[in-house]
Amino acid sequence: MKRREDPLGSLEHIVLLATMRLGPGAYGMTVRREIESATGRDISIGAVYATLVRLESKGLMRSHTGEPTAERGGRAKRYFRTTAEGEAAVRSTHEILQKMSAGLKGLQPT
Amino acid sequence: MRGWFLHAAMWMASRLAADGTREALLGDLAEEQALRANQASSAAALRWCLRQALASAPPLLWVRLTRTAWLSTLAVALLAYVAVGVVQLAVKWAMAVSAAPGSVYAYSLLGMCVTFPMVVLIAYVAARFRRSAAVVLGALMLTAITLMTLLAHEHLPVWLRIAYFVVGPAAALIGSALRSPRLTRS
Repeated sequence: MKRREDPLGSLEHIVLLATMRLGPGAYGMTVRREIESATGRDISIGAVYATLVRLESKGLMRSHTGEPTAERGGRAKRYFRTTAEGEAAVRSTHEILQKMSAGLKGLQPT
Repeated sequence: MRGWFLHAAMWMASRLAADGTREALLGDLAEEQALRANQASSAAALRWCLRQALASAPPLLWVRLTRTAWLSTLAVALLAYVAVGVVQLAVKWAMAVSAAPGSVYAYSLLGMCVTFPMVVLIAYVAARFRRSAAVVLGALMLTAITLMTLLAHEHLPVWLRIAYFVVGPAAALIGSALRSPRLTRS
């Protein structure tokens, strides 16, 4: 029997979704801002990078380095993009959550 | 004073961040600090940045530990920790033999001053074997100090408690920084 992939962790799921929403402009701080504005969760930039790096090592994300800019003290941005595997992992996690919450009172959208 | 704390916190975060994310993370913090200074005040931006740098330390340390060959790193860090223990015992013994009667706190402080460069040296040597070993050594020391503080019933002044928390881990991080590619590049 083929073993299915483990569902994403909560923060991994949120970071993947934030990266998908941001598109090509996704880097550490924009991902943090997106999560904060959408969820109200005050997450540290270190936690965001830790998650992005973990997702990249799983092949769910890929990154490239941008040009250094003056307002960043001459430091470059590291842009992140969700891979096809990353999008599949998000879909799979959504399916699992939908199946598990189906029929449960109080969890249906109003 | 707050600026000094910020620099220390940023330095700690940069030491803990993996090589591939260090520049990006520091750039992100600098960019957001400038943005918040324009929108609110530079004091608020400084506070935010300090909080972010401190909150970033645990997840960055975790990534560092889990992305390296952790078993050999842990072994080197444990050996370094034993070496630090031996140095501390030797310093305590030397001070007990040579010391005239005086304040026990003064001796604690003197002991820390003598031990500090030795811990830096041990951390540097450990980092030569495994680059992350010095950071792990700092984490081990911090854990040991936390446990001792929680379990010991000795009443120590606050400044001495803070010194115990800061001096050992800071010495380990300095040893790690001395081994960084930027400093060792010839």
